[in-house]
Amino acid sequence: VDPKALPRPLEGDVEPKLFSEMYPMNCNPRFLRLTTSGIPNSQSLASRWHLPLGAVVCPLAEAPDGEEVPVVNFVSTGIIRCRRCRTYVNPYVTFTDAGRKWRCNICSLLNDVPGDYFAHLDATGKRIDLDQRPELTKGSVEFVAPTEYMMRPPMPPVYFFLIDVSVSAVRSGMIEVVAQTIRSCLDELPGYPRTQIGFATFDSAIHFYNMKSSLTQPQMMVVSDLDDIFVPLPDDLLVNLSESRSVVETFLDSLPSMFQDNVNVESAFGPALKAAFMVMSQLGGKLLIFQNTLPSLGVGRLKLRGDDLRVYGTDKEHMLRIPEDQFYKQMAAELTKYQIAVNVYAFSDKYTDIASLGTLAKYTGGQVCYYPGFQFAIHGEKLRHELARDLTRETAWESVMRIRCGKGVRFTSYHGNFMLRSTDLMALPAVDCDKAYAMQLTLEETLLTTQTVYFQVALLYTASCGERRIRVHTAAAPVVADLGEMYRQADVGAVVSVFSRLAIEKTLSSKLEDARNSVQLRIVKALKEYRNLYAVQHRLGGRIIFPESLKFLPLYGLALCRSTPLRGGYADAPLDERCSAGYTMMTLPVKKLLKLLYPSLIRLDEYLLKASAQVDDFKNLEKRLPLAAENLDSRGLYLYDDGFRFNIWFGRALSPDVAMNLLGADFAAELSKVTLSERENEMSRKLMRILKKFRESDPSYYHLCHLVRQGEQPREGFLLLSNLVEDQMGGANG
Amino acid sequence: MSEMANTDPEGIDAVRMSWNVWPRTKVEASKCVIPLAASISPIRPHPDIPTLPYAPLRCKTCTSVLNPYARVDFAAKIWICPFCYQRNHFPPHYSMISDTNLPGELYAQYTTVQYTLPLSPHNPNPNPNFNDPSMAPPPPVFVFVLDTCMIEEEMGYVKSSLRRAIGLLPENALVGFVSFGTQVQVHELGFSDMSKVYVFRGSKDVTKDQILEQLGLGSSGGVSARRSVGGIGAGAAGYQKGGIPIGFPGSGSGVTRFLLPASDCEYTLNALLDELQTDQWPVPPGTRASRCTGVALNVAAGLLGACSTGTGARIIALVGGPCTEGPGTIVSKDQSEPVRSHKDLDKDAAPYFKKAVKFYENLANQLVSQGHVLDLFASALDQVGVAEMKVAVEKTGGLVVLAESFGHSVFKDSFKRVFEEGEQSLGLCFNGTLEINCSKDIKIQGIIGPCTSLEKKGPAVADTTIGEGGTTAWKLCGLDKSTCLTVFFDLSSSDRSNTPGTVNPQLYLQFLTSYQNPEGQLMLRVTTISRTWIDSAVSSEELVQGFDQETAAVVMARLTSLKMEIEEGFDATRWLDRSLIRLCSKFGDYRKDDPASFQLNPSFSLFPQFMFNLRRSQFVQVFNNSPDETAYFRMLLNRENIANAAVMIQPSLISYSFNSLPAPALLDVASIAADRILLLDSYFSVVIFHGMQIAQWRNAGYHNQPEHMAFAQLLQAPGDDAQMIIRERFPVPRLVVCDQHGSQARFLLAKLNPSATYNNAHEMAAGSDVIFTDDVSLQVFFEHLQRLAVQS
Ligand SMILES: [Zn+2]
Ligand SMILES: [Zn+2]
Repeated sequence: VDPKALPRPLEGDVEPKLFSEMYPMNCNPRFLRLTTSGIPNSQSLASRWHLPLGAVVCPLAEAPDGEEVPVVNFVSTGIIRCRRCRTYVNPYVTFTDAGRKWRCNICSLLNDVPGDYFAHLDATGKRIDLDQRPELTKGSVEFVAPTEYMMRPPMPPVYFFLIDVSVSAVRSGMIEVVAQTIRSCLDELPGYPRTQIGFATFDSAIHFYNMKSSLTQPQMMVVSDLDDIFVPLPDDLLVNLSESRSVVETFLDSLPSMFQDNVNVESAFGPALKAAFMVMSQLGGKLLIFQNTLPSLGVGRLKLRGDDLRVYGTDKEHMLRIPEDQFYKQMAAELTKYQIAVNVYAFSDKYTDIASLGTLAKYTGGQVCYYPGFQFAIHGEKLRHELARDLTRETAWESVMRIRCGKGVRFTSYHGNFMLRSTDLMALPAVDCDKAYAMQLTLEETLLTTQTVYFQVALLYTASCGERRIRVHTAAAPVVADLGEMYRQADVGAVVSVFSRLAIEKTLSSKLEDARNSVQLRIVKALKEYRNLYAVQHRLGGRIIFPESLKFLPLYGLALCRSTPLRGGYADAPLDERCSAGYTMMTLPVKKLLKLLYPSLIRLDEYLLKASAQVDDFKNLEKRLPLAAENLDSRGLYLYDDGFRFNIWFGRALSPDVAMNLLGADFAAELSKVTLSERENEMSRKLMRILKKFRESDPSYYHLCHLVRQGEQPREGFLLLSNLVEDQMGGANG
Repeated sequence: MSEMANTDPEGIDAVRMSWNVWPRTKVEASKCVIPLAASISPIRPHPDIPTLPYAPLRCKTCTSVLNPYARVDFAAKIWICPFCYQRNHFPPHYSMISDTNLPGELYAQYTTVQYTLPLSPHNPNPNPNFNDPSMAPPPPVFVFVLDTCMIEEEMGYVKSSLRRAIGLLPENALVGFVSFGTQVQVHELGFSDMSKVYVFRGSKDVTKDQILEQLGLGSSGGVSARRSVGGIGAGAAGYQKGGIPIGFPGSGSGVTRFLLPASDCEYTLNALLDELQTDQWPVPPGTRASRCTGVALNVAAGLLGACSTGTGARIIALVGGPCTEGPGTIVSKDQSEPVRSHKDLDKDAAPYFKKAVKFYENLANQLVSQGHVLDLFASALDQVGVAEMKVAVEKTGGLVVLAESFGHSVFKDSFKRVFEEGEQSLGLCFNGTLEINCSKDIKIQGIIGPCTSLEKKGPAVADTTIGEGGTTAWKLCGLDKSTCLTVFFDLSSSDRSNTPGTVNPQLYLQFLTSYQNPEGQLMLRVTTISRTWIDSAVSSEELVQGFDQETAAVVMARLTSLKMEIEEGFDATRWLDRSLIRLCSKFGDYRKDDPASFQLNPSFSLFPQFMFNLRRSQFVQVFNNSPDETAYFRMLLNRENIANAAVMIQPSLISYSFNSLPAPALLDVASIAADRILLLDSYFSVVIFHGMQIAQWRNAGYHNQPEHMAFAQLLQAPGDDAQMIIRERFPVPRLVVCDQHGSQARFLLAKLNPSATYNNAHEMAAGSDVIFTDDVSLQVFFEHLQRLAVQS
């Protein structure tokens, strides 16, 4: 295979049109995408598919402007659901018997229409009130849940911060950024005036903070009994933000200086986590952990397992990537049970066992944010942005999600960050727009007799405003009898998303090599199957042919194998970064994942040199280049953007004017030591505007800007070349 | 009673003895019934005591200090120790000594002298120049331990008392603050960023090492031990940046984070008190607050354990209820279960008692080994566990005050006195050690009073033990101007008459008390006393003259209280009666079997009445009080001087009436009269009792009318006298002002001899029963005594 001949996804992710065109009442694909919307009608057909058969769900994806999900409140009737299979009323149910009955599209049961919900049918059999019933016309709708959907009164948004204050944390400057960022977000935390907030810090002891609103300043309460951790106050460790606002502000103002002379090297992380759990367990909420030191004291202490070269390639290799101590998984299970979601922010320049820490996020619906070797000056802005987004984005609390589907098919496996509460109920203590989940489908019966399979995603959650709601996404997909049709309706984004999750999961039980091989093997099998299907028609002999819908699949497959969680071996990625990237990729929505796998590469110098009248014409900038070293002109200036960071590549023969304009006096310095800042000239301002624009277009992560000059080894290799996916792929897919 | 008028029966030596003339033999001594005991106030101030700015000379054999009873050979520059007869050479700096140039300690009248000592007793080259700053005495330490399980109102009272106390502390005094309820909070007063506490679980016993480590005051050894438990293998050593000590900078000197000079932390403390809340943990209905007094005291003691040795420190515990959580618990949280009574203790039906006492005993031992004091201020309507905590207070020489409320003057005024300086000062001293030397054949059984045996063995240690015994040295972590101890002596059982002729007619006792005065100065007080031996088998006349009946009564009261506490099934009334009868049989004048002939020498005449009142007192009739009250009464009985202790046993009553000076009145119902005012001092309370007529006139406002000036003065006088008593006493007594037939009158009536109601001697027909019924009148008591004393 000649990689250069592969089609390149220079347009990024393209949502499948076919799917929505066929069923216009389906929910928007940003909420639900199937790996193929042609559902095989038989098990034998499905077995020839080789690619994953499943879905990617992003239940709270940000809706396009003007297409906000309508909120429906069935005040008097109660929520209309199928008596048997509990499907929510949706555009695909049909009304009969002059409007007195409705038939469930999923299980076909004829249900009574409650009196208050009754409407006459028109001549075509449609309800006459259809235009006032979004639940009967829209694929996505949100029901206000009555009290029977509550185990307890809806919880307020809760934010609890657990902050490492050991010497390495202090020295990194992380504490200062965290304190400042939290303080700056206090007005924007969702859920005013019910929002609750609390803090604990730790080194070899755990420090709680009494934030009672009547105090003039917070009170620090130290608990050092690590073997037998307890909470030092019944209340007031978690307080109502609006009532205790000034105490909280006083705390955040003094936090950075309070520990500036701390020389404690220990981390009683496990006991601190238990303590935080005790404080939060009554309400649940989000637990944000800021961790800088390998847990060294008390329960959950971790060993410096080391990233031993010799382990790679052996049966024990995967052990490095799974939690060492059962404590973390057990804690995660407890946390989930009490509706606590954990986000782990890790900062160390040394090994901190992200594999173990990340478990907390994995099973609680949280995320891992890793800033290796955090330094205030370099990473401060990124942390500020990402933490602010974490704190201020709309969040669904104490939620559970279930995806139903029609008779004959069944979801059998789920992939992502959550805890499965029963066979098909995903517990998600917190969900937000940046989290997606994948699941795989199997056929329960040898043959499907229906023409259509319906899917319904229901997320039951508490909105920050205190309302209990159910967000329901419904979609229909045709049943097909032909493999070609399955290919035609395939969605490469969804396929890659499911593949990625499966591959990352495989690294937790196998060698990296095995995980990569299994991806490649399936792709190859699929393509062979396809070739067999069409070889005769196309008479193309040995060449691989791609179905149009999956033409980018080989390239994405290769990129996946070169992504941080899967690539190479010992030397190719630090273990913590590998694990962290794995945890992150498990949550990414399709678009974001594809961009990470195949970043954009854009040439900037020509644009920067253009007359200023056209500066804001970004059209030209959207022209992405194939990711190959051969595309880098040594006279050029390039921007590489993978959705998480920017790399700006300075060609060796780039006009010194450009370099000087952008870097000022630093233009000749080693670029690893230079940070980009706006300078007093139009070209620099232009560049900064471009970066700002790109950042704004994708606000979920802050793109840290790295600079690299052509030939600057090994930095160039690390930053750019190894990410140029099309290079050095020889032999990867034999 | 007339003895009360004696100006200073204790004199320069502050020693009073039950017998001032001693029988020669153990057998004779036991016939005297009342033990050979000395009540000493080891540091009572006296204007005539000289202070000598040099170190004392000690006998090279027995280490007693040179004193006026030593025989001195001025020519040979030799002194002969009166205790062991060792000949000691005077050192060179005594070379100028002559019979006209005596050092202070040899003046005949200076049987008590005081030495100022260089700070370190181990310093071989004592530097007399105390200006050396490195020799500055360590500042005293006060750690307040405040209960927060109380209602807001009480919390307000105790806070305001604390604020006042903090304002009165010497500027250099180091202050620490611990609060507790369900948990213990140690306040880090030196943390400037915000208020900071270290929290300990209230239900868990922690060792001193754990406390220090959790406070970040542990030794580095503790840290490395924990690290190895942490399972970080050798491979991690480099990673962990080994070598950097745990904790905050300067944690080596850590205790100063918690103990700050009063002048530096007054603002912090006041702010802390402003924001300090009552315990926040919910208390379910029907249950007592969760209060971990035991752990709180343990933690405070642990904190003080980080202080350098020799630091004078006191834990000042302010307790508002019973310990219900963790070690030291005295009652369950279930309110339907009452706090143990004397009856429960008697029937062994107090499930928490012994365990709690054991806990406080351990605490006491720790404090004693550190040289620190526990003061207990208990203010509650119910019991708080004074009975259990008694051991820790008494062994450390702590103060104790029991009141009904932190708002009551008994607490408020007493608490203030602790911190006052000048005339009113209690003169709180630290780190005391008492040593006793005595002549051959005198053995020491032990001491009743606020001290702990140091278990220093020697030939003078008796076989039998009373109180803190088995030693010739005691630790007094806390002592003050009025601290009083009762030393019990015994005689060697060897028959001295075997060695006639060589016998010295005098016996000697020497009390050596070293201590740190409130300024931190190290002092040594030496009191040497001499008494006469007599052969009582030959004549008991001298023995009789040497009897101090007031002291004897107090000694008996203290001994009875001790026996009641430690001897199972001890029948105090019966024992006292028997002792009294034996005493009267031996020293009374009578014809056998003729009660009418019975007479007592004036040296003994008041003693039976003391015994009568002792039998009726709170010390013997404990069932009328709670175990906490009993413990409180006994602790004060043991540590007060003889005169005050006598008042506890037998209150004084003064009558005020027109046309006569205030005069002592009989402690009898007969003393009540309508036109009299009575002032009763029973030590714990001072009662002003207005006769009916007086009350009527007062109610009519006569005292405000110029023509009734005399009445106004009459009304005024007992109040002034009461204030005088109150001002001099610690704890401050409860003042009760009442009228005849008023409800408060019971405070007086309970103390009076019931002569008017029990004039029924005829019913007590001649029987051989030695047990008197309770509540007999003094007269009946006497009749029985006479009858039994003369029985052959
Ligand atoms: Zn159904
Ligand atoms: Zn001697």
